[in-house]
Amino acid sequence: MLIGIDVGGTYTDGVIFDQGEVITTAKVPTDEKNIKASVLQILDELLAQQDKDKITRIVLSTTVVTNLLATGRGERTAIVLIPGYGLPAHSYNISKDSFFLDGSIDFRGREIDPLDKSQLQAVGEEINKAGIKRVAIVGKFSHRNNNLERQAADYLQKRYPELEVFLGYEIAGKLNFPRRAATTYYTALTSKEWNSFVDEINEALAARQITSEVHILKADGGTLPINLSRNMPCETVFSGPAASTMGALALSRDKSNAVVIDIGGTTTDIALIIEGVPLYASKGARINERYTHVNAFAVRSIALGGDSSISISAGQPEVEPIRKGAAACFGGSNPTVTDAFNCQFNLNIGDSTLSAVALDRLSSAAGLKREELCSKVVAIVIKRLRNLIENMFKEWENEPAYKVWEVVNKRKFRLDKIIGIGAASRAIIPELARDMQVEAYFHRYSDVANALGAAVARPTLTVNLHVDTQTRQYQLDPGGVSGHLDKVHNFQLKDAKQLARNYLERIGAERGMSSYVKESSFFLEEQFNMIRGWNSIGKLFDVGIQITPGFVEEFKGVKE
Amino acid sequence: MKPTGIMFFPAFDWAISPTHPEREERLLYTRDQIFEEGIMDLPQIKEYQPGLASFKDIARVHFCVPDVKAQITEAHLVSSGCTLVMADAFMQGEIKNGFAIIRPPGHHSMSVSHGNRGFCNINNEAIMIEYLRQKYGIKKVAIVDTDVHHGDGTQEIYYHDPDVLFISFHQDGRTLYPGSGFMDELGGPLAYGTTINLPLAPNTTDTGILYALDNLILPLLDEFKPEIIINSAGQDNHYSDPLASMRFSAQGYAKLNARLAPDIAVLEGGYSVETALPYVNMGIIMAMAGIDFSNLREPDYRPEKMKESPNNLEYIKKMVTQQLNAFRQRHEVIAKNRKTKERFYTTNKQIFYDTDYINEQQKVQLRLCPDCAGFRLIDSSAYHHDGTHYRVYCISIPHNACSNCQAEGRSYYGDMTGNKLYDFVYLQDRISDEYRSMDNRKGTEKVL
Repeated sequence: MLIGIDVGGTYTDGVIFDQGEVITTAKVPTDEKNIKASVLQILDELLAQQDKDKITRIVLSTTVVTNLLATGRGERTAIVLIPGYGLPAHSYNISKDSFFLDGSIDFRGREIDPLDKSQLQAVGEEINKAGIKRVAIVGKFSHRNNNLERQAADYLQKRYPELEVFLGYEIAGKLNFPRRAATTYYTALTSKEWNSFVDEINEALAARQITSEVHILKADGGTLPINLSRNMPCETVFSGPAASTMGALALSRDKSNAVVIDIGGTTTDIALIIEGVPLYASKGARINERYTHVNAFAVRSIALGGDSSISISAGQPEVEPIRKGAAACFGGSNPTVTDAFNCQFNLNIGDSTLSAVALDRLSSAAGLKREELCSKVVAIVIKRLRNLIENMFKEWENEPAYKVWEVVNKRKFRLDKIIGIGAASRAIIPELARDMQVEAYFHRYSDVANALGAAVARPTLTVNLHVDTQTRQYQLDPGGVSGHLDKVHNFQLKDAKQLARNYLERIGAERGMSSYVKESSFFLEEQFNMIRGWNSIGKLFDVGIQITPGFVEEFKGVKE
Repeated sequence: MKPTGIMFFPAFDWAISPTHPEREERLLYTRDQIFEEGIMDLPQIKEYQPGLASFKDIARVHFCVPDVKAQITEAHLVSSGCTLVMADAFMQGEIKNGFAIIRPPGHHSMSVSHGNRGFCNINNEAIMIEYLRQKYGIKKVAIVDTDVHHGDGTQEIYYHDPDVLFISFHQDGRTLYPGSGFMDELGGPLAYGTTINLPLAPNTTDTGILYALDNLILPLLDEFKPEIIINSAGQDNHYSDPLASMRFSAQGYAKLNARLAPDIAVLEGGYSVETALPYVNMGIIMAMAGIDFSNLREPDYRPEKMKESPNNLEYIKKMVTQQLNAFRQRHEVIAKNRKTKERFYTTNKQIFYDTDYINEQQKVQLRLCPDCAGFRLIDSSAYHHDGTHYRVYCISIPHNACSNCQAEGRSYYGDMTGNKLYDFVYLQDRISDEYRSMDNRKGTEKVL
């Protein structure tokens, strides 16, 4: 039996899934101040009727880190940057405790300038004097040569043993220094709280004698054993939309182009699925207005939901971005988007006559017919959603391309279906799908798709390798592992690919996901000859291999 | 504040040949540098997706022999298409300025294209300018060619167009390819003074180039009042460039672009792939986006070694004065030239295509029109590298031609059709935006 728990902003949902069926569901209001309590409450409700020994895996999608980052309640954290030449230092003021060190590395990983010891000493003293206990150290091109980051860390840790140090090259080893800096800083900022959360969950499960595997859901829609997530808390941000998207995929299970629309009370989340694969945010997850190296689905949100209030301004109907209460058909006093769809399409949601009464009250005051009011509200809602969806297509189509091949074979998005998730989607999505002339897809488990998505998601892993045969160095992400090549003569792309695959297998084994390694595929295979004068002096390779989001082996779909 | 548009198209799957300076690796380290800096993530920057130019966009500028398809690869369509995307973004007010970091380059390509010369088959800037004129009705354009090589292709295309101010500074043609761009190349008889060359001595530094910028280029732009300024932005004036011998720095390039304030910059040459390009490209992006670039420099930059010699500065000052005078006399000179009784101004020349090893013979006739800048008739012949000999007849009617010139030019197309002396006859009518090519051997015509 698999358990999935999704902690949302308003509610926490849970499901138990077994042999193609959701056998139990549970829902409790989320206690933002004590997420652990919400998780355990759901878990206890789910397990009340079940034999806990049959539980094989629990997956949690939580907002612990998201909330910490949003509220800035994490412990005071300094960031020490080694930016070298380029943009001015003030471009990188990520923390109010930002410090800068001289020293630089170039794109080939060559050390251009060393660290300045006296400057390092002064920075250390300032951090110590401020009583700061956590520090992120991040250098430009540190993923190509980590010496400067390590030297700074060695010095600070020796001098201030209590200081906890987080290094950029270990946490985010891809190109893009500001994203590396933000990711490392946010990791440092949330590490302590995340670790206590993991400890508490482990203790609570032990107290309940639950011995199953426990995983967290990452923003990329994959799972990770909770104890391995300790040094990568940021991977858990935005896991809610990831859970919904994986749930939608689990329910629909086909290779079409689809949008997943999760319509809640006041917000709607939209994700794209391209030939059965969820689309990633090309610049990484955006946390507090900063791009990061956290791999996340490209999800767009809009302040529009089933409970969005309807009003009339200057004779024209408006859909407000706020909730003034439940829909009238569920006993609310104010007409909502759900009420307008309810009347317009005779949906019999709740008590339809209450929808009509509330709408009549509003429309007659403005001298409109109820039908006019409803059709205008429907038109506004459909137009907003449609615009957002079409903008997402356009952005995907307009992603930069760096090869002739990519430009000549320009991609075009052709939508096949809309997958509805969330309570209000059944009222709104059929009309949206009609308007866009595509299929609307619902499943009897649409309302618990988020928790189901968490329950059945499989682990994911992305490995990036950079090889320089002239310097004989290579670097691997994740983990910032670097190494030396003994033989570079005749080193070819296939050798680079093998190196990346070996590392994927190694990390896969560490994470208990060896059975998924066979499903890995290469998504990046670049090689460049380095020519100086007219002679070849070596090759550069960039190779990427990944296990994409998918489902655990035992998951074979859910009956319609 | 509007962002600066960046079009980054490194063509990682295109090369002239594996070890050629124009190879896949050329913009690799630039990619690493600008992505590592995260400059594309800044709100001051908007990155664009490449587009494709059409054959018609190319025919608006070039007589490709025998046809457009024969002279280009898909990479060329993308590279020139990128400049059109930048042009649209600029004209539609999405960006305050734009920089197309693209390859293959184009500024050595002339009106007639028999092959590749100076690593170029088609002229990206000219294709963009004629597109701007056709689509947005732009008339007056200034091109500042900051590549170390003389922009001879762009110069030739606009040599008879008084509405295009073409300024090129470069390493003296006596010391570097293509061996042209001297002080006395000042434009055709009816477009005198709107071609300005500044052949600089080898080893000229930031000081010398920025002196020429402040004292020649900026005043010329000020007086000419173009509707749009284009930087044909080669990066091989850099002190580390392997093909040239100047001593310009990344700081110099950044300062130049900050003061020049081009509306659109288009990458041309620059082959110091590791030591110059990553830093020069960063410098140009930062300058155009108004980002403080004082912290930018090359790892091996030693300012104390880059002092300008007083003699060279004197030499530059003299050239600057002379070229300012030439430009300021242009109206009188053109008025005088117009008084001639000759109907045509005729020149004969030989054009060498270094990359493809082609020798082209050309006879160019300019109609000396009393009312406009005239149209051109080009009689061109060359052996292509596959051994085929082509002789072609080209008629170029510019955007600013008078109706008489348009009619007369078009009549030549009819006259030459079927003339067995010429394998192909081409009509380039920019007023009607119509481009015809007649295959006299087969008697078939194509219209774009």
